[in-house]
Parts: sequence; structure tokens; C-alpha cells
Amino acid sequence: MDVPSDEDVSAAFAKGDPDALRLLYQRFGSLVYSLARRSLAAAADAEDVTQQVFVSAWRGRDTFDPERGSLAGWLVAITRNRITDAMRARRRDDRVLATMAAGAPSEDPAVPSDQVVNRVVLADELSRLPEAQRLVMTLAFYSDLTHEQIAEVLQIPLGTVKSHIRRGLQRLRSRLEADRVAH
Amino acid sequence: MSHTDPEILALRALGEQAGSAQDAAHTAQCADCQRELERLSGVVELARGDGPVQLEQPPAPVWDRIAAAIDADTAQPGVAAAATANGSGPAHLNHDGNPPSAGRPPHPPSTGPGRTPRARRRRSRGKLAVAVAGVAAGLVIGIGATVAITELARPSASPAVAEVALRPLPQYPQWRGAAGTAVLRETPSAQQLAVSVTAPRRVGFYEVWLLGRNGTSMISLGDLDAAKNGTFTLPAGVDLSFYSRIDVSLQPFNGSTLHSSTSVVRGSLPSSAAGAAGG
Repeated sequence: MDVPSDEDVSAAFAKGDPDALRLLYQRFGSLVYSLARRSLAAAADAEDVTQQVFVSAWRGRDTFDPERGSLAGWLVAITRNRITDAMRARRRDDRVLATMAAGAPSEDPAVPSDQVVNRVVLADELSRLPEAQRLVMTLAFYSDLTHEQIAEVLQIPLGTVKSHIRRGLQRLRSRLEADRVAH
Repeated sequence: MSHTDPEILALRALGEQAGSAQDAAHTAQCADCQRELERLSGVVELARGDGPVQLEQPPAPVWDRIAAAIDADTAQPGVAAAATANGSGPAHLNHDGNPPSAGRPPHPPSTGPGRTPRARRRRSRGKLAVAVAGVAAGLVIGIGATVAITELARPSASPAVAEVALRPLPQYPQWRGAAGTAVLRETPSAQQLAVSVTAPRRVGFYEVWLLGRNGTSMISLGDLDAAKNGTFTLPAGVDLSFYSRIDVSLQPFNGSTLHSSTSVVRGSLPSSAAGAAGG
């Protein structure tokens, strides 16, 4: 496996294991970066936020309490804060520029949108599903195929498709709720 | 009366007319089933949005900067308050992202000495997207309407062997307006593929690939120019009966040489093209 399991990462991280930061980055680098990339106009800002999130997560790892929520939720909360900081900094810059140009100041909200965060978290969880289930869910969401057609195309039993869909939706919902609770 | 079967609720959340009239009647009047249906529908709506969210890998230098910041911590005793129990402190990480122990780096290096364009010809990521696209392509061909192939025999210096219409994949609704053509030509020394695409202006660049029939093998041909045109010389000896599909991807500027899994348009070469090209 290229990507370590959440349990492995969480356990290594809680122990301060020397490999934990690398595992954390392998597992959640794309989640954090994608959140930042979709919330911030400039790619360089998104890279800065990603760097800050992992550095501050490592330095503040004593404050992570597995009892209070998932590691993913904790990281998403840190990412939200860093994105907010970056947006505010960018808005200050814009104001300065707007004043210089006598134009209108930017009206963008200086917080990442819940919709953006939730969609990226969902995509992350979707990417974590076992391959067969991920394929079923992807077709169920993004093709116009019914579950009968999915069973036919993938040549798997109808019952398996239905159970993948039910469990897949439940799992995605649980992940959204877990990450929401944590911030 | 018992509650509606959770599998039926899940299918209804996806918009299917699943279950009996009785199920529908129960769901409509049962607060628990209604709430469950709304929650699941919320997940579906969020997931569908304006199409799938492609997760992006951070560019490789980001990890280098993180590793450097952490290494700087350990170099300053005052900052190393978060040292591990055995006193060894945070990991020492080299700048490929590998600690001294084994492990894969989170990213392949984006560039480096000895790295050639051919290095992109192997890939292992994005199997799902390709598999899904393969399934979808199979359906499309099954429906039989979208691959327009014109056999051409113009008396020009380099006759066109085939002209293929490139179309967006049905599961990527955000590319519904995209289209393109690919013309395969034979010159005395090589086969050339001229690709032209119309697609919305997006951040990133468009890259042309040949996809293998196994759904996982790929050959990168190169990038389209700003007008979304490009002419590419195919690798000599390539088997077009296997590498028979043409794919155009939108690639983010993240230094990755892998397919982004964002397929904009595709088309299939006719089997006659492989035969003609071999001769």
C-alpha cells in the first residue's frame, strides 16, 4: 500500500513516532493541499498553508486527543484556521492595492466555505474505499447508470452493488460527521 | 410496520425509483426514514456537486520545506520541547522525504538529472479513474454513436490514416462542452498524430496520451499549445491495436508527470489504423 491506514498514522502520531510526520503527510498531504488549493486563488498560498499545517501539527502533536475526534478532523480544523489566516492576509493586501488604485475593496468572505471543505473531505474518503466499492460509488454518483446497470457493467451480483452503495453512503456520512465534530 | 430497507433508502437517495409503492408511502410518513433519506441525499448532493473533486498532490518542494522546518527544530534545543520520550526528537528526514528507514517518498521527484519524458510512460496511480473511464468508454462504444471515424485518403504528402472525433466522458459533466479531433498521418519516417481540442479555459495545461486496452497502460505524447493544438510523433513501433485510445487530460502545474485522472476528451482509433500504421 502506498498510503498508510488512518489507524497506523494516528497511533504513530500519538506516540511521537519518528516516521509519523512522513506517514501523516503521505496520508493527508493531498487532503490538506486540495482544501487549500480550492479555497485560495494562488497556488503559492496553498503550498504555504500546506507547509504550515504539517509543521504546526507536528509541533502541536501533544494537543491531539484521539478521544475528542479523528486525526483527519483535527488536521482539517488546523487547515481551516490556516486558510482563514491566509485569506485575511490576502485581503489586507487587496485592500492596500484597492486603496492605491481607488477601487472597491474585495468582498470575499475570509473563511473557507463549508461546501468546499466537505466536498474535499468526501473525495478523500471516497479515495479510501476499497477498489471495488470505490468503483461502484463512483459510477453511482457520476454516471447515469442505475444499480442494475452497474451490476451488469461490472459483472458483480446485484446484492453486492446494493450493499456497497448502502455502506459506502453510510461511511461517507460518518466521515463528514466525524470531521465536522472535530472543529 | 417495519422501517424502509436501508438499501432502498440508499438507492432513493441516489435518485433511483427503488422499492415498492408501500415503501415510498412508509418513507413519506415515517420521520425516522425521512430523516435518514435526507441525510443520505445530502451526502449524494455534496458528492455530485458540479462533478467529482480531484484531489491534488502538493508539489514535491512542499515536503522539503516541511522536513527542513522540522530539522531546524531539532537543531535548536529550545524548540525541541516536543521531543519524543526516548529523547531522540522528531525524525531526521532527508530531502526526498525519506527518513533513514525504508519507505516510499510521498512524491516522485518532479524533475531531475536523467529524467526523460519517457519516464512518464509508466504509471500506477489513478487506476480507478482509468478503470471507470474504461467502463464508460465501453458503454459509449456499445451505444455506438459517439466515435466518428472517417477513413481518408488524400493525395497529400502525408496521407491521413484516420480521423477520430474526441468526446468528453459522460461521468465528467464539467467537460460536457469539450470536443476535439485527432488525425493520424503517415510520413515516410514516422506516424504523426495531430490533436486539436476545444475546451473551457482552466488552470493547468492539456496533455495527450495513448491509453492501452488494459485500462492502465499509458504513453504520454506531449502537451497541447495555448490554442489547444499539437502534433506528436508516435514512438516508433508502438502497437496501435493495443494503444488504441487517445486521451486528453487537464494537468495541474504540480510537477507531477502522472496522468491527473482528469480526462477531458477521448476517442478510439479504428482497428484499420493499426494495420495501416504497421505497413
